[in-house]
Amino acid sequence: MIRCRNCVISIVNSRLRFQTYNQSKRLCSNNEKTEEEKNYENNREKRERQHEFFAKRSLILKGAFECVEHKNKDSFLDMIDIFINKDVNRRNHTEFIYAALKNMKEYGVQRDLVVYKKLIEVMPKGKFIPTNLFQVEFQHYPKQQQCIIDLLDQMEDNGVMPDYEMEDMLINVFGRRGFPVRKFWRMMYWMPKFKNLSPWIVPNPPPNDAFDLGMLAIERMCSVDLQSKICVYHTKDVESSIEDTWIVSGQSIVQQDLLKQHDKKIGLFIEGPFNIWLRYRCISYFILRSEAPKNFIEHNDDIEVDDVSDIDVPIFSLGRVKQKKNKVAILRSVHEQKDGTIYAVCCTGVSSKDSLLSWIRLLEKNGNPNLADLLVLFKFISPTDRDVIVQTKEPTVKTNGENDTNEDNKN
Amino acid sequence: MLARTVRHVLQNRSFHTTPICTTFWVKSKKQGYEKEQPLLPTKKMILEGLKDLKDEIIMWKEEVKEKLETDPILIYRPNEIDVYCRFNTREEVEKWIVTSDSDHNEGYSRANFELSTAGYGLFNGIVTANLPKDGRIKKAGYASIRSQRHTKSFRRNTYYDWSTYNTLVLRVRGDGRPYMINIGTEGTFDVTWNDIYHFVLYTRGGPHWQITKIPFSKFILASNGVVQDKQFPIPLNKITSFGFAVSGRGGFDGPFSLEIDYVGLEYDPSNIEEFAYEMYKQEKYIVAT
Repeated sequence: MIRCRNCVISIVNSRLRFQTYNQSKRLCSNNEKTEEEKNYENNREKRERQHEFFAKRSLILKGAFECVEHKNKDSFLDMIDIFINKDVNRRNHTEFIYAALKNMKEYGVQRDLVVYKKLIEVMPKGKFIPTNLFQVEFQHYPKQQQCIIDLLDQMEDNGVMPDYEMEDMLINVFGRRGFPVRKFWRMMYWMPKFKNLSPWIVPNPPPNDAFDLGMLAIERMCSVDLQSKICVYHTKDVESSIEDTWIVSGQSIVQQDLLKQHDKKIGLFIEGPFNIWLRYRCISYFILRSEAPKNFIEHNDDIEVDDVSDIDVPIFSLGRVKQKKNKVAILRSVHEQKDGTIYAVCCTGVSSKDSLLSWIRLLEKNGNPNLADLLVLFKFISPTDRDVIVQTKEPTVKTNGENDTNEDNKN
Repeated sequence: MLARTVRHVLQNRSFHTTPICTTFWVKSKKQGYEKEQPLLPTKKMILEGLKDLKDEIIMWKEEVKEKLETDPILIYRPNEIDVYCRFNTREEVEKWIVTSDSDHNEGYSRANFELSTAGYGLFNGIVTANLPKDGRIKKAGYASIRSQRHTKSFRRNTYYDWSTYNTLVLRVRGDGRPYMINIGTEGTFDVTWNDIYHFVLYTRGGPHWQITKIPFSKFILASNGVVQDKQFPIPLNKITSFGFAVSGRGGFDGPFSLEIDYVGLEYDPSNIEEFAYEMYKQEKYIVAT
């Protein structure tokens, strides 16, 4: 691979290596380096002309995918079409496929089966099919086979399940004994088993809109209690609110009852933001909770049935029969946990303090009148330095990030 | 003449014209990831060894006593959860090994396993699929925790015997991400050193705890992270380690957190499945090649 110093164009061709290097040097020598850096936009045309020049010489331009202005599915498919129709020989198709795979994310097509199929179409049919046992065993055309295995790997990583048309395409290229075909069969065995296994269904692809995501997230969190009700509030309904945004709030009747019984002397917390993932999308949510009561017993049945060291036999222990305490207790709801009682969950459009304050006001209006008398504290978790990814040359582990709790008084 | 030829061959032995094939023989269990720790001075080593010896003998005594005193448990009551590990103390949490790709400069993911504010084991951090641009690494983005290899006195390797159970029970609180459960079944020979059985742990997310029960029959055999074509049911009497992992590939870059209360085992008589995956004979030269 040769990279021209003055521009980002790389040329890959083993045969014409030195020849083209000289050519590219000659081509780019006209441009001043600093000028090109300054006037990137102005020089684009010049670059495109250069690309055309190289394209005519049937070389692969590594920078070709990066240079395209409008990066979308159509332009990506166009690029593949251009490559397929450019030349009968389709030289350097593996390099082309690798370059395409690398740039899929920027074009937003990394989860698109059609694009992967189109990339497989680049491979010539019939040429790589092994004709005898030894060719099969020694991976006939190893570079090409590995290239398609990497393509299938990328599909796997992005959760794209192939279809049976792809099987036919792969068999046409590599034959029934090809390694990519075997990988395809493995994928088609395992991937359907896990495709719909999650008990909490999220549409594929998940919605882009924050509100839809918020709805899905709250629904998912509230699936713990079937009596939960999901309400959509708007902050403009509260007079004192500054922002105009939506709030998705989830609360069940059980939680409302618990809030009614809550001791007024003990404060509540609004905690967050916490993250919830819906496939590859993430949204932050807040919870309204209080500390667990002090007499909280985690297990209702704390009689050790396995303990045989002290069995009560009525005849032998007449004089010292212990009166067993009445073990009857009210069955706890799922919301009463050892680490606190949860009263409600919400997602807001802006995740700001003001919108959360509006949330409390709206909860008060809608079925929780005693919130007016309760003390509510904000307990915000600020993002720590752990959450900031900085690409340094040598990754170092920092673990001294602390959760910064920011408490603010309401009422 | 012969001697000269032999000498000639022997002398030229170190010269290889082809890359060395290391497919069959694996040098160590860590496969190139071992950390070289400097050896202590002999005197110090003996002293520390003697110090350890005391604890080891106590441990051994307990083991012998237990073997003589107790009868083996033949019947486990159905639907009763026996806790394998409960993360309620710092010691219990610190026993586990945390790894991520940044440990070996193979990525930028970071992870730690600590006691949460609520007093449970919290596996958190950040996973990212970003690659270090050194041309060596093809893929990155994982973090995992793992229990240490189960040992008995005098640091002898041994196994957990879970063959009386058929279901894994977990009480966790996740963040909606899918996690991977790894059950290590390390064998004697090098081909089985990295045998790990996997299954997915889907988490609901949110502030509530979830209890997940997974039959052992569902677990998938993989070696070195590669799912095997020839599958076998998990050998429950040969369990060596247990762990969780999370991936940041496929757009899952970002922070993660999994709070674990306990990992338990249960015998569920209603679950009669031996192995969830097909075991019929496959076409020749296609499977496991």
